[in-house]
Amino acid sequence: MVGVDGPPMNGVAGVGAGGGMLGAQARAQYAALARLRWHMFINGLRVKKGALELGARTISFVFYAAGGVALGSGAGAAAYFLTAFGGWRFLPLLLWAVFFVWQMIPIMLASFQDQFDLGILLRFPLRFGSYFLLYVVFGLLDVSTILGGLCCAGIFVGITLAQPGLFLWTALELGVFAAFNILLVRAIFAWIDRWLAQRKTREILGAVFMVLILSLQLLNPALHRQKHQVVANPLGSANTEEQNRLRAQEFQRTKALFKDRYGPWLERVNAVQQWLPPGLAARSLRQAHSQEPGSRSGSLESLGVLGLFVFAAGGVLGARLRSEYRGESLGVAPSVRRAAEVRAREVKSRAGKSVGGRLLDGSGPIAAVIEKEVRTLLRTLPLIYAIGAPLILVLVFSGVFIRSGSQGNAFPLALPLCMVYAQLGFTRLFYNSLGAEGAGIQLYFLSPTPMRTVLLAKNLFHSALFGLTLLVAGILTALRLGQPDPMVVLATIAWILFALPSNLAAGNVFSLTMAYRVNPGRITRQGGSQANALGAVLVQVLVLGVGAGVFGLCWYLDKMWMAVPIFLVFAGVAVYVWMRGLGNADQLANKRKDSLMATLMKAG
Amino acid sequence: METAAIQTHGLTRRFGALTAVEEVTLSVAQGQFFGFLGPNGAGKSTTIKMLTGLLEPSAGTIEILGQPFGAGALELKRQIGVVPEGMALMGRLTAPEYLRFVGRMYGLDMATTNERTDELLEFMQLANESRKLITDFSHGMQKKLAMAAAVIHGPKVLFLDEPFEGVDAIAAGMLKAMLQGMINRGATIFLTTHVLEIVERLCSHVAIISQGRLVANGSIEQLRVGVESTLPGAEQEQRLTLEEIFLSIVGAGGQQEPAQELSWLA
Repeated sequence: MVGVDGPPMNGVAGVGAGGGMLGAQARAQYAALARLRWHMFINGLRVKKGALELGARTISFVFYAAGGVALGSGAGAAAYFLTAFGGWRFLPLLLWAVFFVWQMIPIMLASFQDQFDLGILLRFPLRFGSYFLLYVVFGLLDVSTILGGLCCAGIFVGITLAQPGLFLWTALELGVFAAFNILLVRAIFAWIDRWLAQRKTREILGAVFMVLILSLQLLNPALHRQKHQVVANPLGSANTEEQNRLRAQEFQRTKALFKDRYGPWLERVNAVQQWLPPGLAARSLRQAHSQEPGSRSGSLESLGVLGLFVFAAGGVLGARLRSEYRGESLGVAPSVRRAAEVRAREVKSRAGKSVGGRLLDGSGPIAAVIEKEVRTLLRTLPLIYAIGAPLILVLVFSGVFIRSGSQGNAFPLALPLCMVYAQLGFTRLFYNSLGAEGAGIQLYFLSPTPMRTVLLAKNLFHSALFGLTLLVAGILTALRLGQPDPMVVLATIAWILFALPSNLAAGNVFSLTMAYRVNPGRITRQGGSQANALGAVLVQVLVLGVGAGVFGLCWYLDKMWMAVPIFLVFAGVAVYVWMRGLGNADQLANKRKDSLMATLMKAG
Repeated sequence: METAAIQTHGLTRRFGALTAVEEVTLSVAQGQFFGFLGPNGAGKSTTIKMLTGLLEPSAGTIEILGQPFGAGALELKRQIGVVPEGMALMGRLTAPEYLRFVGRMYGLDMATTNERTDELLEFMQLANESRKLITDFSHGMQKKLAMAAAVIHGPKVLFLDEPFEGVDAIAAGMLKAMLQGMINRGATIFLTTHVLEIVERLCSHVAIISQGRLVANGSIEQLRVGVESTLPGAEQEQRLTLEEIFLSIVGAGGQQEPAQELSWLA
């Protein structure tokens, strides 16, 4: 192709000009890209929605910044105390925590981050090195990288204050550790996007994910049994001093039991983690601090192995990006022979019966929309993920409540708190219910089915799914923490009856006025709407605030029963608002028709 | 006098300071195959969006089958089929799932929807692709599916925005035959396309829009006579093609500037 491999054309420098990914041509391309991003930003502000987005982004930034600074300060304080007071052996735990923040947060926030799809640059004569560099550089703007970077900065400050002599070594170690994390998180998402790009791998990934969630849930009864074996209170109703003495004995016994049972296993885990990046970074720092002979060379060795991990992560990312760069085809077209076989099989199986399976036999548009929603959801991994991920965290949180309970009992309001968390997974479904429609949004405006019917069908389906998820979360919590107080269960159900229509009412308005396109084949590189995300958070905080206030008050007054009628009154109001909202949905949809279609139908 | 299938009066659409469609008044009789032509950016898609309820007019009125048409005219929407610019497809469904969905959204009962889905998939030669997601379809296959979805409810008026774009010659021939069959049974078709040969072969009447204004409207023969009468005597002897008529009309509006030489191009 002229301009790429051939001699430079008139006015075209050619890829070779300037040489390398930092050469003159590459630098010109980076500058052009920076200008492009700037123009996109400025042009975005020309419309009202853009200004709203900027405001929402500014507020989000303040939140993230505050969270990041708090997290970084916490990590710094922990690092200071660990290294100043001889707690070096616990440093790996801190670095593992940073590692998990770095790798897990992008998954949690993927849907809320507006990400630029660099794939569009491949049509230009861009060097692979430049493409790789841009992909990594754009990753630096990820929330996880900023948080992880702040944690590393905090740890650096903490260790340097405690051990000033390790200043340079700590900077080097943490710099390499950060590089590893940046490359790994980009590699993970590049590969996930690759797998989501094809139906077969997407379905395998979806199945693996579902199995993972179910496995975690099945793990609960086992954990529950363990817990009861360990914390069963043998005392009954003895006096407090005796109870304390016995509790101390029980603690010692449990500790010994834990050490006996898990000690060898933990030793093995420790031996392995030392050779993984967070463990290597911690070990290298510890060896650098140690005065023992040979420790310096050991430290260098650990740093070297950590460097190898950086290259490995870069290699994994590079392999993926190289395929993208070469213009891989992710089409699902089978080979000619295979296609003929499939066709023959389908023609045979189709004889005398209607093609494709049916989920719902109802003729009406509500049944049609619900069936479509089920099928779309099952084929949209980001949404399954959004619903499923909080369930995993319910499992984690319920573990926290076991420990935080007084007198060996779980925290009494653990159930509503776990319900609240499970509800968060529905934010995208409730508040952007049209986001996955793409060009299909036109059909709703073309067909004789009113928008209120479409939204009603979506609300019904989402409510059923919501109920099912809360049921699973409730069972999960009960298995983990034991049966909750029946009055708390009733109050929780009453709160849900208030929270659900409140979210649906607000969600319908947001879906029509602040929709954003969901790319069903991707977890990362999604477009997003900070205004929608922030608004949804604010409404949810309000609903949660009302719930927390009522729960707190009734708990304080020791009259939990009062929460039920209060929530039922709120629920009545919320249902009324939801119905009024549905009644006005067509008017609002028609008013927002242009921007709704423009947003959902835009390419990419 | 028979009611017009499509009737507009002073149809106008403004986007801020830009007037995309200005004072368009036209009438399409029932059973007519009507071609709506214009250069890029002339306002064709904007007009078709307004006629199908996808876009609110800034001014003017629309009547379909003699009734005022707006976003709330749900019963009237049952009489209309549309292949819009964006095709209105849902990528995460398979073709049969999508057609069944569309049929039910237009109020067909399940048995009829299933029957028509099967027939349409066979007709459009998509039956062998019934397990493939629409997102994995080629552009031409998507066009055929969009066409199937537009006719599943048996509309009386069909709006087609570039329906033949990306469709292979065999499928295009099949679609033309289907559309001609609909016309023979009394349906009205409103077609926009850049392929003037198709319009010349299929349409009895055309309208041409340029810079948002309707600059010609009538049967192809009327347009031909009109243009030929403006030509010098010698040129009147040859029969003009629709392309020549189109270029003559649109060019007369001052759009057609002679192409400048780009000296740096190979």
